[in-house]
Amino acid sequence: MQDFAYHAPPTVAEAIALFAADPEGSRYLAGGTDLFLALEHGSSAVRSVIDLKAIPGLDGIAVQPDGGHRLGALLPMDDLMRDRAIRTNYRALAESAEVVGGPPIRNRATLGGNLCNASPAADTAVPLVAFMAMAVLSSASGGRAIPVVRLWEAPGRTVLRPGELMTAIELPPPLPASASTFERLTRSAMDIALLSASAVISLNDDGTCRLVTLALGAVAPTVISIPEAGEVLRDTNCDDAALARVVKAVIETVRPIDDIRASAEYRREMAGVLAKRALARAYAIAIEPAGITR
Amino acid sequence: MKHPLSLNLNGDMAENLVEARTSLLTFIRESAGLTGTKRGCEEGECGGCAVLLDGRLVDSCLILALEAQGKTVTTVEGLGDPHHLSPVQSAFAESGASQCGFCIPGMLLATTALLDREPDPDEASIREAISGNLCRCTGYTRIVKAIQLAAKLKHDGQN
Ligand SMILES: Cc1cc2nc3c(=O)[nH]c(=O)nc-3n(C[C@H](O)[C@H](O)[C@H](O)COP(=O)(O)OP(=O)(O)OC[C@H]3O[C@@H](n4cnc5c(N)ncnc54)[C@H](O)[C@@H]3O)c2cc1C
Ligand code: FES
Ligand code: FES
Repeated sequence: MQDFAYHAPPTVAEAIALFAADPEGSRYLAGGTDLFLALEHGSSAVRSVIDLKAIPGLDGIAVQPDGGHRLGALLPMDDLMRDRAIRTNYRALAESAEVVGGPPIRNRATLGGNLCNASPAADTAVPLVAFMAMAVLSSASGGRAIPVVRLWEAPGRTVLRPGELMTAIELPPPLPASASTFERLTRSAMDIALLSASAVISLNDDGTCRLVTLALGAVAPTVISIPEAGEVLRDTNCDDAALARVVKAVIETVRPIDDIRASAEYRREMAGVLAKRALARAYAIAIEPAGITR
Repeated sequence: MKHPLSLNLNGDMAENLVEARTSLLTFIRESAGLTGTKRGCEEGECGGCAVLLDGRLVDSCLILALEAQGKTVTTVEGLGDPHHLSPVQSAFAESGASQCGFCIPGMLLATTALLDREPDPDEASIREAISGNLCRCTGYTRIVKAIQLAAKLKHDGQN
């Protein structure tokens, strides 16, 4: 590893200014669980590492006036998965944080780092897309918020401008009579996802689906959402015929790759299976505690 | 370029000049001379390098030494010494949980972190808590038993 300068600025503005001094040679550092290996094996020269952990207020969870939740970009997975409010209201997100690496990784790995690393297999990215979360970004020219689903262009590439810093992820208020699920397929528990799916379903008073979202990981160059799930399942009881139509849409939409972990053909087939599983389980959970009878 | 680093290592101040690229693992082993922390995969996979950073279990191979500036680091040497073993160390010794021993410092720290948070863990929590620590020798059964005994020894010690 080449040596570099190390900075731990106390404010977002100073971090952005430090980055601007050498946009090509600078990297933001959060938990380092992805960046460390990139520094070790990466091809481009890194001259300046800007540690974000000294900036106060970027690693917490705050409830918003509208009932939504604001998660700091520097929030470690371990804190996220243990948070009572998140476990209750955004279950799939807690479940996805639980499977990131082992305990020592989860004590360091941050939510923002998982998104900014732009892996199509990033576990927390999948439920965040299903929950229609927004990423809050900050740069010298001001701030903006974009839907998480629009964060990525390609594996390893985000739409963040050079030096733009993610400060938070905003979750909309939890929906009434709703449930969320996260499903993941791996070769072994410690491996990254071969495939993942997350579904969020909220119900009408009569037990039919009001709002359905479905997101898939590791089946395309970026994490994707499947809007057809919402269109097809609206006002249905999530019955087999409706699910079969969603599965068909999934299989037509995904663009999986062949790699050492699995073939594209297997991934395409399993994308349908996992999507169906995530939706059916979310529906079953949503209908139960609400006490809605069909 | 070298930067001054100072941190609390097992209760003592450790100070030195380090290059930014120096990992916390290298600092602990080569600058502070504490070799209980093991250099295994250096990719966050094996947990041989695990230490407690402000009480949280982390892989020191994936952390820059400078990220620990002003913080508290506990390595296996900080848990106890041969004459004053911590309950966790005693439990591992009594249970015969160690074969080659390479993974044990990391296991001891993972156990310490677990019992600090959850004094009475069930077997599933124990297995989860050591899931970032690989052991090539034991098959984990005796390690799990040792952790159960450690929980008991800690309880008894407090009563
Ligand atoms: C052993 C091991 C197992 C793993 N298992 C999993 C797994 O099961 N599932 C999974 O999804 N991932 C896994 N990972 C990958 C990694 O831990 C996660 O992607 C993690 O969330 C990255 O977060 P970080 O804080 O460590 O990011 P860093 O490594 O600090 O940063 C990652 C990238 O994002 C940029 N960045 C970070 N934060 C910001 C910000 N706030 N604003 C702008 N840019 C930023 C950095 O510059 C860098 O390019 C694993 C990694 C290891 C080493
Ligand atoms: S040496 Fe750090 S995890 Fe293997
Ligand atoms: S005792 Fe040898 S690696 Fe665990």
